[in-house]
Amino acid sequence: MKKQNVRTLSLILCMFSYLLVGAAVFDALESESENSRRRILEQKRSEMKRKYRFSEDDYREIERVVLQAEPHRAGRQWKFAGSFYFAITVITTIGYGHAAPGTDAGKVFCMFYAVLGIPLTLVMFQSLGERMNTFVRYLLHKMKQCLGFRHTEVSMENMVLVGFLSCIGTLCVGAAAFSHFEGWSFFHAYYYCFITLTTIGFGDFVALQKKEDLQEKTPYVAFSFMYILVGLTVIGAFLNLVVLRFLTMNTEDERRDAQERASLKRDRGLLEGPTGPRVVEIHQENDKRYDKFSPPLQRFVLS
Amino acid sequence: MKRQNARTLALIVSILTYLVVGAAVFETLESKQEKSHKRRLDARKYELMRKFNLTKANFEELELVVLQLKPHKAGVQWKFAGSFYFAITVITTIGYGHAAPSTDSGKVFCMFYALLGIPLTLVMFQSLGERINTFVRYLLHQAKKCLGMRQTEVSMANMVTVGFFSCLSTLCVGAAAFSHCEGWSFLHAFYYCFITLTTIGFGDYVALQRDDALQNDPRYVAFCFVYILMGLTVIGAFLNLVVLRFLTMNTEDERRDAKQKALMTVGKPRGEVTRLLPLSTSTSSTVVANDATKAKDLKGAYTEVLHFQTICSCLWYRSKEKLQGSIPTMIPQEMTFSDAYLQQNSNCPHYMDPGSTGCVCSPRQCTSISSITTGLHILSPFNLFKRRSSV
Repeated sequence: MKKQNVRTLSLILCMFSYLLVGAAVFDALESESENSRRRILEQKRSEMKRKYRFSEDDYREIERVVLQAEPHRAGRQWKFAGSFYFAITVITTIGYGHAAPGTDAGKVFCMFYAVLGIPLTLVMFQSLGERMNTFVRYLLHKMKQCLGFRHTEVSMENMVLVGFLSCIGTLCVGAAAFSHFEGWSFFHAYYYCFITLTTIGFGDFVALQKKEDLQEKTPYVAFSFMYILVGLTVIGAFLNLVVLRFLTMNTEDERRDAQERASLKRDRGLLEGPTGPRVVEIHQENDKRYDKFSPPLQRFVLS
Repeated sequence: MKRQNARTLALIVSILTYLVVGAAVFETLESKQEKSHKRRLDARKYELMRKFNLTKANFEELELVVLQLKPHKAGVQWKFAGSFYFAITVITTIGYGHAAPSTDSGKVFCMFYALLGIPLTLVMFQSLGERINTFVRYLLHQAKKCLGMRQTEVSMANMVTVGFFSCLSTLCVGAAAFSHCEGWSFLHAFYYCFITLTTIGFGDYVALQRDDALQNDPRYVAFCFVYILMGLTVIGAFLNLVVLRFLTMNTEDERRDAKQKALMTVGKPRGEVTRLLPLSTSTSSTVVANDATKAKDLKGAYTEVLHFQTICSCLWYRSKEKLQGSIPTMIPQEMTFSDAYLQQNSNCPHYMDPGSTGCVCSPRQCTSISSITTGLHILSPFNLFKRRSSV
């Protein structure tokens, strides 16, 4: 079977197994705790219903009001600062959901905004990430020269190590900052930064949601926005270094196959040509098909 | 300024502008409604407080219980089906948040799970997307042949049109299905599908949250999972077709700059040129001298062509694609332009004169690239050997 097809099939299989394994582990880790929490909360609810003498309908009414008021608990979400925050979560595909367009017009604009914004953002982060990698490579090279190394070439391992450490460093800096400003534990703040910078964006932890922070604490707001954008660049640079080459593997293989087919056709045409010198040139080092006839880079003229 | 730097700066400025414009529009669309909605809810809240004689503290306690019960309202979230749903939202980075790990160990596992899962998923979707594009290209080619069209080549425009319509129909099919099964309006279901398949995943609309569907309706559950994964594949195929080439632009430019720099620093004939010498091993010094001057011309020609390409990026990419299809593999990749240009120069001098702005990208001069590609068709091994055997 063609290499690209084998690769694609094995990737599909890997992903499905990965999902199954993940589901099993999450089930094992969370199911118990979910059950016990649910029981406690339901108990509390029936206590309260008895205490305040709610009927079922009364409770439903209160529940509805509370759930609808939830996004408002964190202050005004749609003034300029909040809208900017929302726009960031759209085009970076983080999508916390702490605020989501309520009007239909907002929903429609959101969709068009995303259609143009997401590819633009992808290209921007990869572009900037590549520039950062080039700059880091240059710095490492200079450093190696200064430190008097024999080999001043910057290897892939060097780059991957530096990239990985930058990512960890970015996450830790963010964790420290947000745990201080939001009052979360360091671990929860780290989890928040991780979920944000991988653009998963659950929304269980969201920055700038303490009462009116968006309107009042402008330096903190600016810091949060900068952190998200710079952090995504660092992660993007690491992805550009490590993952991007794999995204184009199938395309490169197709191109190489097309070239091989073209060369095969041409050689066949030459050999069977009625006039003119019969020449066969074998150039391609990776042209395995010709290996059994002659070593690569050899030419012979047929008289 | 180097091209890559200019490009990157321009992109940064565009993104920041885009964000500011988006923020302004969202504010206009949503702020007023937010204010009035909040006022109505507050009024309702005070009504309820008065009706049931609740103090503020009581109500807040009630609020807390209701909010904490919210994820449980939608059913059991962490049994196998729910966990599978959650795992999908993690590795595809959709991340609704309808369920999020509450235990610390769940959070830790989630982070490691994402660390490996997200790149795996990215590569998988791009891989499968590329396969789908190739298959569609093949189908279109066959369709064109069957319909008896003159040109059976499948152009980029064809592929983009087909891709775009596949995305649109995927969204519409999902919208129809979810509006029926979840009781949403068509617009809201379309919005849900869009937000899901772009992996934004707000979580304001989430499927499988009604009537404990995760446990009770396995067929609907299977449909949702299949829809999300297949939809992401279709979107991924479209991105692979349209966006992926732009993600590697800077890297390709760096590679080309490095080659140019390497060529500049080499004063003697390059390896590629000497590779052709073995056949004419009985060379006289004149051949070597010829090759030396040819190498200088070669360097000059290469520089010219690269200078041309540096400015006219669109042509660079178009010509590169054309060349990779049409060049005989007789010629090693690195030599294509130099040799072609040499051939061109010896047959028909096409000197590229930079215009007043320094840009050679005018319609008149841009035909040079097409003549290079056609020139390559002339450049058969016959000609190559003819030149060498003139010794």
